[in-house]
Amino acid sequence: MKNRIKRHSKLELLEHWSIAISGIVLLFTGLGCLPLYKRYYITDLPGFGWTGDFYNVTVVHYIASIVFLSAVIFHIVYHGLRGDFSLLPKKGDISKSIKVLAAMIGLGKEPPSEKYLPEQRIAYVGIGFIIILLTVTGVIKVLKNLEWIVLSPSIESINTLIHTLSGFIFMLAVIVHVGTVVLFKSNWPLLRSMFTGYVDEDYAKHRHSLWYEKIKKN
Amino acid sequence: MNLSRRGFLAFSSMLCGSFLLGNSADAAKGKYATLIDLSKCDGCTNEPIPRCVKACRDYNKERFPEPKKPILPYWPRKTYEDWSDKRDKIDTLTPYNWIFVQKVNIDDKQINIPRRCMHCDNPPCVRECPFGALTKQPEGNSVISDKLCFGGAKCRDVCPWHIPQRQAGVGIYLQILPKYAGGGVMYKCDLCKDRIKNGEEPACVIACRDRLGQNAVFTFGDRNQIYELAQKRAKEEGLYIYGDKQNGGTSTIYISKVPFETIEKALKANKERFQMPVKLENKIESTFNPIGKIALASGVISMLGAAIGAIKSKKSPKEAEDSEK
Repeated sequence: MKNRIKRHSKLELLEHWSIAISGIVLLFTGLGCLPLYKRYYITDLPGFGWTGDFYNVTVVHYIASIVFLSAVIFHIVYHGLRGDFSLLPKKGDISKSIKVLAAMIGLGKEPPSEKYLPEQRIAYVGIGFIIILLTVTGVIKVLKNLEWIVLSPSIESINTLIHTLSGFIFMLAVIVHVGTVVLFKSNWPLLRSMFTGYVDEDYAKHRHSLWYEKIKKN
Repeated sequence: MNLSRRGFLAFSSMLCGSFLLGNSADAAKGKYATLIDLSKCDGCTNEPIPRCVKACRDYNKERFPEPKKPILPYWPRKTYEDWSDKRDKIDTLTPYNWIFVQKVNIDDKQINIPRRCMHCDNPPCVRECPFGALTKQPEGNSVISDKLCFGGAKCRDVCPWHIPQRQAGVGIYLQILPKYAGGGVMYKCDLCKDRIKNGEEPACVIACRDRLGQNAVFTFGDRNQIYELAQKRAKEEGLYIYGDKQNGGTSTIYISKVPFETIEKALKANKERFQMPVKLENKIESTFNPIGKIALASGVISMLGAAIGAIKSKKSPKEAEDSEK
């Protein structure tokens, strides 16, 4: 068996997958909160009849939000306090990202990377921003439904619009995220590490040489 | 920007003030309510159009939809909702008729029920519109913005009385994806929003009083006073009340000599397009809010857990230095 290097702790895997799974449920039910499923016959599919009732769809949306909200808050507070900042962008990440993306489609050579690829750091901030926007506007929606806060009419409208529109951007971001992992073979070891927590030493040595050297030094 | 502590407090309370109307339940419910006395409504028997209906149509006619034809069907479906050829219809709610007088026979006696939006305290249409096209105004009325409305008709689905009505061929959806998403604009009573903002009464209320004077069907006024008046009259005259509890409370209170259970049964038997269910809980309050509380509590617990976890697993200085590289 090849040597393996630990890339993610069990806690990190749990954070990722609870956000991922609840996020997909939220996307599906969020789309269902738009009047779309009945028009497009989704409600006629076997097992999807319940999506025809907005109250059902919203209840599932609310339930999934328990997991999503908890995981997002945990992620920010836990790693923020610990100072785990290796996923935050660094200087030069944009130009390096272009090289990494070019290499994925066979153009040029990939620059050596740290634990995370430069484009991963940029994507993290992007998707993180959308998630924060969705979470904050979502919490405001919960609070106004509870009538714990009473928003002025225009603020309530703007909050709702931001939630709906950033939901669409989140959907695009998820598609791009899953697409870049699944469609490019060079990223498959990373996909596996999202389940197991480990990458092969060979892989780390070649693609994440800066990280690899640092681990070996210690 | 230099801000003293006091200045900061003043500034932030000003900011909050502009966002919030206030946290009291009264602010949420709104300023006004309408009392509709069914024992007084004769449906304007001797008139071509009931006065309230005519007044509403006259006052709001500038706001009625003028659809561009031909209207595209709601792909992949082959249908669309078009009332523009039935503008004269006054016996039901349409995009061109925001109030109507529903007639129902009970024990050979005709009861006339002016029907329009109830203007709920916690209105599902407002809370659930995905585009924020509906708002609840400080006066207590729910208003649809014809500029923002996409015409998905979700408000009609989540409304316990299915009040809002759709007209295709108008609205913002025509500029976005006219074939694939959206379906027009929704229309309903907004209590003559501009009039009540100026402290005037809605057109229907005035028109009814012009005909019946002291015996007018509608009484419009301060919400608390209307509620008190309804309760007082119900007690003194043995009348029944509808609208104070339904869907968690509304700003439209019906009073009637006939129990509303009887009216509900009769409307159901007639398979009326607009029903009056008596047992009607507000599903936002009964279904969503308990889960919402759990979500908020989990968020707080998660924050505490994360903070404790982070402190306990604090990295050695060396590790911290490495991760910053």
